[in-house]
Amino acid sequence: MIGNGIPGGGDIAIGFDKNARRGLLLVSPTALYALALLAAPLGAIVLFSFWTQDFLTVDTTPTLNNYREAFANPLYALLMGRSLLISGAVTVVTVLLAFPIAYYVSFYVNPRHKSLWLFLITIPFWTSYLIRVFLWKVILGFNGVINSSLLELGFIEEPLTFILYNANAVVITLAHAFAPFAILPIFVALERIDRSLLEASRDLGEGAIRTFFRVTLPIAMPGVIGAILIVFIPTVGDYVTPRLVGGPEGAMIANRIQVEFLRLNNAPMGAALAVIAMVLVTFVSLVIVGLNRLWLGRKS
Amino acid sequence: MKGRGLLIYAVLYLIFLYAPIILLPLFAFNSSTIIAFPLEGFTFDWFVQLREVEALHDAVRNSLFIAVLTAVFSTILGICAARASTRYVFPAKAGIMGMIMLPLVLPEIIVAVSLLVVVVQILDFPLSAWTVIAAHTLICTPFCIAVLNSSFQNLDASLEEAAIDLGETRFSTFRLVTLPLVMPGVIASLLISFTISLDEFIIAFFLTGSEPTLPVYIWSLLRFPRMQPIIMALGTILVVLSIVLLIVAEYARRRGVAKAGKADTGGFL
Amino acid sequence: MTDPNRRQIISLRDVQKHYGSYHALRGITMDIAEGEFFSLLGPSGCGKTTLLRTIAGFEDVSSGHVLLDGRDMEGVPANKRPTNMVFQSYAIFPHLSVAQNVGFGLRKRSDLDKSAKSALIAEALGMVGLDGYGDRSAQALSGGQRQRVALARALILKPKVLLLDEPLSALDKKLREQMQTELRRLQRHVGITFILVTHDQEEALIMSDRIAVMFEGQIAQLASPQELYRRPVTQQVANFIGVMNFLPVEISMGQGGSIDLDIAGLGRTTIDSAQCPGAIRPGLGQAGLRPETMTLLVDGEDADGHLAEGQVEELAYYGDMTYYDVLLDGATVPVTISMKNLTGRQVLDRGARARVAWDPRALVVFAE
Repeated sequence: MIGNGIPGGGDIAIGFDKNARRGLLLVSPTALYALALLAAPLGAIVLFSFWTQDFLTVDTTPTLNNYREAFANPLYALLMGRSLLISGAVTVVTVLLAFPIAYYVSFYVNPRHKSLWLFLITIPFWTSYLIRVFLWKVILGFNGVINSSLLELGFIEEPLTFILYNANAVVITLAHAFAPFAILPIFVALERIDRSLLEASRDLGEGAIRTFFRVTLPIAMPGVIGAILIVFIPTVGDYVTPRLVGGPEGAMIANRIQVEFLRLNNAPMGAALAVIAMVLVTFVSLVIVGLNRLWLGRKS
Repeated sequence: MKGRGLLIYAVLYLIFLYAPIILLPLFAFNSSTIIAFPLEGFTFDWFVQLREVEALHDAVRNSLFIAVLTAVFSTILGICAARASTRYVFPAKAGIMGMIMLPLVLPEIIVAVSLLVVVVQILDFPLSAWTVIAAHTLICTPFCIAVLNSSFQNLDASLEEAAIDLGETRFSTFRLVTLPLVMPGVIASLLISFTISLDEFIIAFFLTGSEPTLPVYIWSLLRFPRMQPIIMALGTILVVLSIVLLIVAEYARRRGVAKAGKADTGGFL
Repeated sequence: MTDPNRRQIISLRDVQKHYGSYHALRGITMDIAEGEFFSLLGPSGCGKTTLLRTIAGFEDVSSGHVLLDGRDMEGVPANKRPTNMVFQSYAIFPHLSVAQNVGFGLRKRSDLDKSAKSALIAEALGMVGLDGYGDRSAQALSGGQRQRVALARALILKPKVLLLDEPLSALDKKLREQMQTELRRLQRHVGITFILVTHDQEEALIMSDRIAVMFEGQIAQLASPQELYRRPVTQQVANFIGVMNFLPVEISMGQGGSIDLDIAGLGRTTIDSAQCPGAIRPGLGQAGLRPETMTLLVDGEDADGHLAEGQVEELAYYGDMTYYDVLLDGATVPVTISMKNLTGRQVLDRGARARVAWDPRALVVFAE
């Protein structure tokens, strides 16, 4: 019964064995859902970016005007560049901070307590994102937690202003928000390292530090790359954090996309910005993956 | 020695992770209307006031409705995909699974605007809770698959064959053997997608109709300093609830691991 | 061993199985009699498990026929076949108790009330020596107990054929040996046909009435354990079942169906044509001789029959046995000879001269 009738897929089905048909049939609801609600809308947004809109009427004549505008207007270039820079900084900070934690939990924590540590690390991540970001505003603000404590203790005379409503604040807040995303893939990669490999390296005369760089890090690299991508990609498109703690100097591309769509009623321009953002993110991700291949390749 | 240094670092890191959350109850019970130090007196006022804001109750009801349906839909879609990817080899498997898992790494704003374009500009549908449910199901499904994959992987294929061999049909085997054994994963999947949906802001912000979800409502409140202590009280409640949910999910997962007789290899995700 | 009066419970007719371009089963034809303990023996990847799963109904055949008790099984799913299986991992349901596991297949038996089912479960548990274990959690069982539960669960349905997929491979050596005798005893007791898949030639020899040796999706030889050991039909089978020495031989036809041989290191002799399992023709070939069919003579001992001489190149002392590698004069490769360490028999040193007694009746000759 099952697998005999893939609708409209007569010729595709021929030549597949029963298992392949069952697998396809089973995955098809999810796949069709993703196709309809992800692939098709992504296609639509690409299409839209070649159209124009005047208030509420959409002109479907294909044009490159949105892209011309996106590259000509220095505001867009600034926002795009800043988004990439902030995300890059967030990624570097988050991954560098995360690695020692993942390393500690994987190598030094008693195996029985590992889940507890992971649990402790993931709990803050599951609490309201909006409120967490807002609380960073409270911590970093003009009369926020840091400034009032430092003033009270006499370390500073004037409240620090470089920590709120600028790119620094965005980096700190995002580094906090994406911490578990960086820790978990690195931890998983470290867990997979056969401990006897490290002993073998020591046995062959390598010191602890050289063992780390010659054995541990190369093997853990897929996890690190995973962490880098899983932090970098979503943060480029983050909206809430720059809006709440970024101020005008910390605004990012997502804020502009939102403005184009919901305030200026210029969906095609917003779509073009979204497409450019996707292309840039994909390009940077591919460069990261490529550099990693090159590095690992040179190693061996 | 090296372990000690790392331990100190780990503790500092945890303080960094927990800093905002520790502040939450401090301000929730602080009688000052301004969210700043020094703290003034102790009060329950903000929690009492929470009960009186009608719009908030509507937002909570709306969010719960969305989160429950999202959890159910994304878990069902997750079961299909996780089962297919762990048990079967089929053509274009990597591509299909890649497309399904894509929302995991796609900036949410992209998902939000692309759906907005389709729903409003192309289909001309009215925005409502259902558009949010549809989008939330899309972004939660990859998380469900990640959780369910490990459940299905831990399931020995010969258990199902044994049931069939003993006279059960494919369907009754799923009911009698497969489902009970992956149930902890299913519960964890429901809880995780529920939590994600309940907390998700940006997609709801773009796709919600006239009735805001809880995060969209909180967002609108953040602009009014007068309302901020109330948000702290609300946040405290949400933190406690999500910790409870997480503990239940973790407990379910561990029971699943114990049931499958496998060694515990760490948390979910 | 094959009694013509016995009913054939399984008949395979030119069974073929392809996985894409991989040809897993290449025309399997055989019959298995009712009440037989039958083994499928072969190295991993030879298709023995695929064949078992084809009989169980977990795999379709690409072509050919599987007949169970005279009925063609084409299109009959696994849950409708009169076979039950003991899985390599035992597949004990971890969320059920021992009794629920054993009674799993009785769920749809509406003709039985609850007490009848309980009685059947108790009987099945008793049969495998697990009386009183019914209420235990399946997870609290040891490997050997899981094995017994799996047996009870399959046998309670009184299948026409019980299929066992490497059932002893997960057990340690001692327990495995104990279970081998127990399985054999159980099979005689219930009288059901058992088909055992194993890669362990010793296990197959100990337990089976008949053995099918498989290589690369084909049956290389189907015979009783003794026949298989004494008269392997190919060098591959001979090598897989125990150890066999091979010496180059020149074959020429003698009178009255006998065959004349000139074996490197052993000299000239004459054998019966029955000792040449394949097509035999004059020319070069290989003469096979099992290690225990040769005897190393110590000083003072003499043999009535054939004698050869050589030098001990290497030896391995096993306690009960000693294995010698002896290079026979005139041969290029050494032969392995096993000697029981009987009281008073001396163990020869490396380099010692050796006299070897051997018997032409033990020879198996393969033409090249």
